Amino acid sequence: MTGYLVSILTFVVLAAMLGLALNIQWGQAGMVNFGLAGFYGLGAYTAAILSVSGANPAIATGAAIALTAAASAIVSLASIRLREDYLAITTLAFAEAVRLVALNEQWLTGGSNGIRDIPRPFVSYIGGGNYELAFLAICVAALLIVFVVLEAIVRAPFGRALRALREDDVVAATLGKDVLSLRMKAFAVGGAVIGLAGALHAFYLTYIDPGQFAGFVTVYAFMAVIAGGKGSNRGLLIGACTVMVLLEGSRFLKDFLPFVNAQQAAALRLMLIGVGLILLLIFRPNGIASEYRLQVGNRSRASAHSNSQT
Amino acid sequence: MAQALLNGLVSGLLIALPAIALSLTYGVLNFPNFAIGAMITAGAYITYFFNVGLGLPLVAAALFGCLALALVAVVVQHLVYRPIGTDDHITLLVGSMGVAFVLENLVRFVYGAEVRTFALSVARPMMWQGLRFNQEQLIIAVVTVTAMAVIALVLKRTALGRAMRAISDNPALAEVRGIRRHRIVDWTWGLSGVLTALAGLLIAMDTTVEPLVGANYLVSIFAAAVVGGIGNPFGSMAGGLIIGIVEELSTLVLPTTYRQGVSFIVLALVLFLRPSGLLGTARIKR
Repeated sequence: MTGYLVSILTFVVLAAMLGLALNIQWGQAGMVNFGLAGFYGLGAYTAAILSVSGANPAIATGAAIALTAAASAIVSLASIRLREDYLAITTLAFAEAVRLVALNEQWLTGGSNGIRDIPRPFVSYIGGGNYELAFLAICVAALLIVFVVLEAIVRAPFGRALRALREDDVVAATLGKDVLSLRMKAFAVGGAVIGLAGALHAFYLTYIDPGQFAGFVTVYAFMAVIAGGKGSNRGLLIGACTVMVLLEGSRFLKDFLPFVNAQQAAALRLMLIGVGLILLLIFRPNGIASEYRLQVGNRSRASAHSNSQT
Repeated sequence: MAQALLNGLVSGLLIALPAIALSLTYGVLNFPNFAIGAMITAGAYITYFFNVGLGLPLVAAALFGCLALALVAVVVQHLVYRPIGTDDHITLLVGSMGVAFVLENLVRFVYGAEVRTFALSVARPMMWQGLRFNQEQLIIAVVTVTAMAVIALVLKRTALGRAMRAISDNPALAEVRGIRRHRIVDWTWGLSGVLTALAGLLIAMDTTVEPLVGANYLVSIFAAAVVGGIGNPFGSMAGGLIIGIVEELSTLVLPTTYRQGVSFIVLALVLFLRPSGLLGTARIKR
């Protein structure tokens, strides 16, 4: 039971990291990343490939972070002059490209069999006994660092500039902000966090395959961000917990529905995730703890105003 | 080479159909419908249900499939996109991802992951001037060209088409001029559903009926729409042909599994070099 709890908590921490990353990309800078799963996979594969070939886990993690951040920066170039939609399309296509490479380049990624026996980092110091717990501690520490750094970024002038261009990039540009460079940086910072989460994912499971980095990862992250309140890092931690607990809880669904087989239960679970996302968007678009904003007049007028701006 | 061009042309027609559907809803609702892949899959399975499940001939099954998916699209509009609020395109975008998840897994829930095929007799490929083309390709060409001609007529000649173009140009002005937006939006989803169901039938006929049949075309469809200038249905026709031919020619030098990767490259290049699309007009925002 403790083992199960530890494993759920580890996934909650990883989901929270992805959510934080999406929160700076989407929540702060207004850049939709529909290829989050692809970047996550890129980080995981980089860490896995390097450490299987003997690299130090710290170096492998660093490489995963750097590569994912660089890829994010390059992909974000697609937002040069354009609306957010195009970035969404490009990131989605990027994730598909990552998936194709992971599936087809057997020599590098093991194809659909994936990579097995990824060495666990620092296992010689920690020992095998309480390794899971120690790894959870590492993940929590990493999450704390990410949280503190991102909070600092959000409060810094850089964060303000991001919010400014999210609300109106033309105005931000008129005020002398370099919109493209700000966007690239925001996307790269998010990418770095995703890369870190990917590396931890690979080290935790010690086995990765392309199926682990499918679209549902992206949907989880979006749900966590929406549930937590777009733009709010603290709300996000709550959102990520809520979402993961609900998702884990839905695993027990098949115990209550004896007439569905395992495959149907899995499909039903993913369906419920989609329904959950839609319901959140309809009924709680601002999440549990939304970003603090000045509001003038009654609520309906304020929302009508913000709608007309987008 | 000529054979690859011919195959590319046919698969381009196949991509163009959903790309047009995408452009129609983009024009009127101002967001790219990420559920289009799942809608293709749903269309293929609904048609499969009428064809194999109920034993109807394929043509009748296709007709029912089109109507059913049009209905699904309108229902989704009323259950999902309209409550979200049709002015916030980013939220709609995320919502469409949720819709994709629901549709795709609904199909999995009902039919499982097995690969299925339509009840269509296998025919020998035909030869003409040294070029080989099979029965499916001929059907694809005839159906898509007819569908495109009908769409072009609807857009250019009917009151519905005029209203759609008016909303696409300037929704506020269109509404002031007495166009009932919600009704036009419903009709647009209906049209989009018909086109997508046809695409689902044709794609599944060309390959197989399986849960990822539409998702496998998603990147190509978006690439086609962007190349043609997203929101411009006529551009999407051309974009589809371009993407189809480029993908097919790429298989001469690359493994066929990388077709979608090629689309990604084309998409990225177009966005860098000519973001409004090859046929789109550059517009200054605000």
